[in-house]
Amino acid sequence: MADFEPKIITFCCNWCSYAGADGAGVARLQMPTNFRVIRTMCSARVDPEHVLRALSKGADGVIILGCHPADCHYIGGNYRARRRIALLRMVLEQYGFDPKRLRLEWVSASEGEKFQNTMSSFVQTIKDLGPTPLKGVQ
Amino acid sequence: MGFFDRLFNRDKHKDECDCGCKEHEKKVVDVKEPVVTKEAKAEAKAAKAEAKAEAKAAKAEAKATKAEPAPAESTNPLDAYPLLPGAPPGGKIKLAIYWAAGCGGCDVSLLDTDERILTIGDMADIVMWPIAADGKEKDIAAMKDQEITVSIINGAVRNTENEHMAKLLRQKSLLVVSYGTCACFGGSPSLANLIPGGKEELLDYVYTKCGSMKDFQDKQSKPVIPQTSVMTADGEITIPMLYDVVKSLDQVIDVDYSIPGCPPTQESIRHLLAAVAAFAYKGEALPPKGTMIGVTTKTLCEECHRKKEMRRITKIVEPHEIDVDPELCLMDQGILCLGPATVGGCGAKCTKVAQPCRGCYGPTKAVTELGSSIFTAIASLFPILENDPTCGEDEIIDIMSTVRDPLGYFYAFSMSKSLIKRSVVEKKGGQ
Repeated sequence: MADFEPKIITFCCNWCSYAGADGAGVARLQMPTNFRVIRTMCSARVDPEHVLRALSKGADGVIILGCHPADCHYIGGNYRARRRIALLRMVLEQYGFDPKRLRLEWVSASEGEKFQNTMSSFVQTIKDLGPTPLKGVQ
Repeated sequence: MGFFDRLFNRDKHKDECDCGCKEHEKKVVDVKEPVVTKEAKAEAKAAKAEAKAEAKAAKAEAKATKAEPAPAESTNPLDAYPLLPGAPPGGKIKLAIYWAAGCGGCDVSLLDTDERILTIGDMADIVMWPIAADGKEKDIAAMKDQEITVSIINGAVRNTENEHMAKLLRQKSLLVVSYGTCACFGGSPSLANLIPGGKEELLDYVYTKCGSMKDFQDKQSKPVIPQTSVMTADGEITIPMLYDVVKSLDQVIDVDYSIPGCPPTQESIRHLLAAVAAFAYKGEALPPKGTMIGVTTKTLCEECHRKKEMRRITKIVEPHEIDVDPELCLMDQGILCLGPATVGGCGAKCTKVAQPCRGCYGPTKAVTELGSSIFTAIASLFPILENDPTCGEDEIIDIMSTVRDPLGYFYAFSMSKSLIKRSVVEKKGGQ
């Protein structure tokens, strides 16, 4: 499906990834524009409910970006987040979603380029997967 | 003190009452009050609309009554309430009870009003109760709109008949109570939403794949699956059609009150009966619409007697696999308990007997769904490891895989009210 433009929800942590995304913008790095960024104080602030709500409202993919392990502003927030997201991926798989629709990545404040690469590859992944299977079902 | 002991004590108390105790005097006065039900209904409706504060006060009062210590001679809080005093002044109210997609446990739990059950017939005409009374669908259809005072519906909505009856009872009733977990959140029947092929796959499995059907199916020329309509010599025979997705009652009709629980506790039933009786006998305003009866505002952990030591989960166990410590939090012992995400009100009956909470009371008001609320809690209980800064995501998935069947476990009672609601099928290769 060549003309499929996915809608992607991106959660960025305030201390690393949001600054990283900002850096990517300031450096005018080119990337697809299919994502909407939501800033959270920490990747651990992203409740599984937020992800499920995004998917239930028609998002084709959700990506959560946080500080690298051992870099969390709140010491251990990203360790909690990765456990939650691992569990959530299992749940999404049980629902029948492709777990690739949910991704967790680490992007630091200086990694504008990594942000660009991550988002480009995630958008491509979702384009390959096609629209959310919830489309037209609920 | 057993049921019969209480019954006999009640008789003794009644005898004392005849000598003129305060409680009995009050009861007589209540009966004498001339109230016409229809007027009372209108009055109550108006009061309901305009005086929310009043209702709140009434609720607070109810709470206060609940908090009051039980009479000295008995530990049962129900004993504080008298038997219903005969027929209401405005004539009997009409009561309907309907059984949708549920196990029937809710119907049985409705009998859990002790000896008061003997006098409910004095207060109300039971116009429908499939398990116990004779009322049929056509009797209900012949009634005037809002003629039934209260309809108590238990069970989820999973076929055309459930939906039809729910809508019919809604039309004919002043109040509809969503009774039990299946009606409130979908309950166990809603786990059928996770079958990817929907009703076709379900019927196919049950009627052709199940071992118990083999003998029957072997004798047929082709697999036999029930049809919703069959023509016979005597005419058409129909059965209700299954739905692909099981719904909770409030997703189909407007519901006035909800009573969660699998089944609801005696305490919740007492609250409902007290509210209905106050309305029937004295025309008192009913609780505001949307009230959840029998729940608290906090989670189950608040009422659980167990002590939390904030230990981490390293291994998940079932209660039968270990010698369960009677005082220590079940999560601390490695048993997955849904208490931290489930709303309180049941009195933590399960955790008292070393069984984990399974979430039948549903989520708290602060969150949308119970499942995601409990992941957050449970995932945080896994310890941060030495190698956490360097390990890959695969290792974390291995750790979390010790939680078997998270979807089925965390949404065991609330799939209909979850955000995703049903299984989905990815179209491979992007359509």
